[in-house]
Amino acid sequence: MYPGFFNHLLLISQFELKRGFVTRKGILSMVTFAVVWCVILLYPLRFAADLLVQEKGLMQDSGFFDFIGLGSLQHWPIPEFGVFWHFALIIFPMLSITLAADQTCSDRERGTLRFIVVRSSRNSLFLGRFAGVMVIQSLLISAAAFSTLVLVLYRDASLFSSGLPDLLAIIVNLILAVFPFTAMMAALSAKVKSARQATVWAILIWTFLAGIISGFAYYLPVLAFFKLLVPGYQLSDLGELSGWQTLQLAYIPLLQSVILLSLGRWIMARQSL
Amino acid sequence: MRAPIIQCQQLDHIYSGKAALSNVSFELDAGEPIGLVGPNGAGKTTLLGILSGFLRPTSGIVRLFGHPPGTAQLIGKVSALPQDARLDPSFTLIEQLVFYARLQGLTKQQAIMEAGRVLEEVSLKEAAHEKPQALSHGMAKRVAIAQALIGKPELILLDEPTAGLDPVNVRTVRSIIAEQTSATTFIISSHDLAELDRLCRKILLLENGILQPEKIGLNEQQAAARFITLQMETCPALEVIAKLQAIEGVQQITNPQKNEFIVAYDPDLQPHMDLQLMQCINMHHWQYRQLSHGKTLEEKLFFRG
Repeated sequence: MYPGFFNHLLLISQFELKRGFVTRKGILSMVTFAVVWCVILLYPLRFAADLLVQEKGLMQDSGFFDFIGLGSLQHWPIPEFGVFWHFALIIFPMLSITLAADQTCSDRERGTLRFIVVRSSRNSLFLGRFAGVMVIQSLLISAAAFSTLVLVLYRDASLFSSGLPDLLAIIVNLILAVFPFTAMMAALSAKVKSARQATVWAILIWTFLAGIISGFAYYLPVLAFFKLLVPGYQLSDLGELSGWQTLQLAYIPLLQSVILLSLGRWIMARQSL
Repeated sequence: MRAPIIQCQQLDHIYSGKAALSNVSFELDAGEPIGLVGPNGAGKTTLLGILSGFLRPTSGIVRLFGHPPGTAQLIGKVSALPQDARLDPSFTLIEQLVFYARLQGLTKQQAIMEAGRVLEEVSLKEAAHEKPQALSHGMAKRVAIAQALIGKPELILLDEPTAGLDPVNVRTVRSIIAEQTSATTFIISSHDLAELDRLCRKILLLENGILQPEKIGLNEQQAAARFITLQMETCPALEVIAKLQAIEGVQQITNPQKNEFIVAYDPDLQPHMDLQLMQCINMHHWQYRQLSHGKTLEEKLFFRG
């Protein structure tokens, strides 16, 4: 008896996890991420948070953060989380474009996918790889968030209980934020020949799609609705929110992901392997 | 009556504006290995790609065991050796074969055993923990054959299984196919006609994407009764033809290649033509290399007279 769809999905995503954390290439990527994140954590993030803690009253009075567009930093009870939130909203979607670029393309070019599709459906292959990459990114986001918590506890250990809910809100939101980017890379990867091509196309499509929709919406405001289709559309608004309020916009990345994954499945089903 | 394992009806495949397959229809039953031959660009790999579910036909109907290619019902029943496909360079052979076996529904323990078994079949057990880039071309081909054997499928589609292999490994592949023909039907695409001649009783010939209908199921008995192929050591060709022509029952002698003669004869007039030929060769002190009943596959397919 052959395994069902979900069993295949599980096996394929487990294999992707193995690729991410056990293979030489995966370990190298993880070490690079850890080093870069360490530098961000120990320097820009820590210094910015220290500044917020020490000069809080002065900066609030002067309206400095509102002036530079980071007024929401003051809404976070723990400044480190506010700074982390702003950093992470930029870093993780960008990381997603590179980390998730090679979901199927190089395996398809090499012919490796043929060995898999005689044993599983294209749907479970496509969604299994997507799920695997999402789990890897979720683990990275969680590791980065918990390292920030360690930084907070190093400053004031009593903040653990009050900081944990905010930290969970950040993790959930960041995972939701990278969802559509990963789905976009899954769809592109199903079509193009290499990870580099997928990344280039992602940047081009993302830039032009946002530009074209904004251009049309300027003359015909009703078209502004289509901005919802651009991955990351909600990120600038998310930056203005804090805590669990951030989930108010969760429907946007979820909607984008559903559309992009459907498109990717359609491409995958028709692609020659 | 058993249903055919493969049914193709009016299959067309257009690739870059060119017809790679055109109106291909055939049915194949389980049993002896089936050869798929044709010149380069004839559409052999395209046909196998469609049967394996790697390509979608532009039009037409394909059914394997009554199901379209790539459907869940065929998992574990149909397997393939795709041409030029390579394993993932990030994982060892055993890791990948175990993964494939698990996709076919085996438990982890069964998958480990099965991966070991198929590597043993292709004499690569000692390379189980190597990564694909450490393998030679021939070894990589054998691993690709090994993955096709996982779970003992009922139908295995082999695209150029012996290309790039040394004679010892060609022999290994041949014996693997021969050993499994009782339980598995093989469809073998190859340019090696001598190899197909040894392995297959039935041949499909594709030319320019069109299946040549008269080539399906060559009547071996009839062909074997009318022709003898004689391969000689260096010999005076004209004299050989003249002397053989003089034997009663011989209808025609052709000399398609140096030192090779095809004797067409009437079996009613001379039922023991092979003995007559041997006597003639002996009488003239010639040396022969091989005498075989029937024409070679190459002659049957491409040089029919």
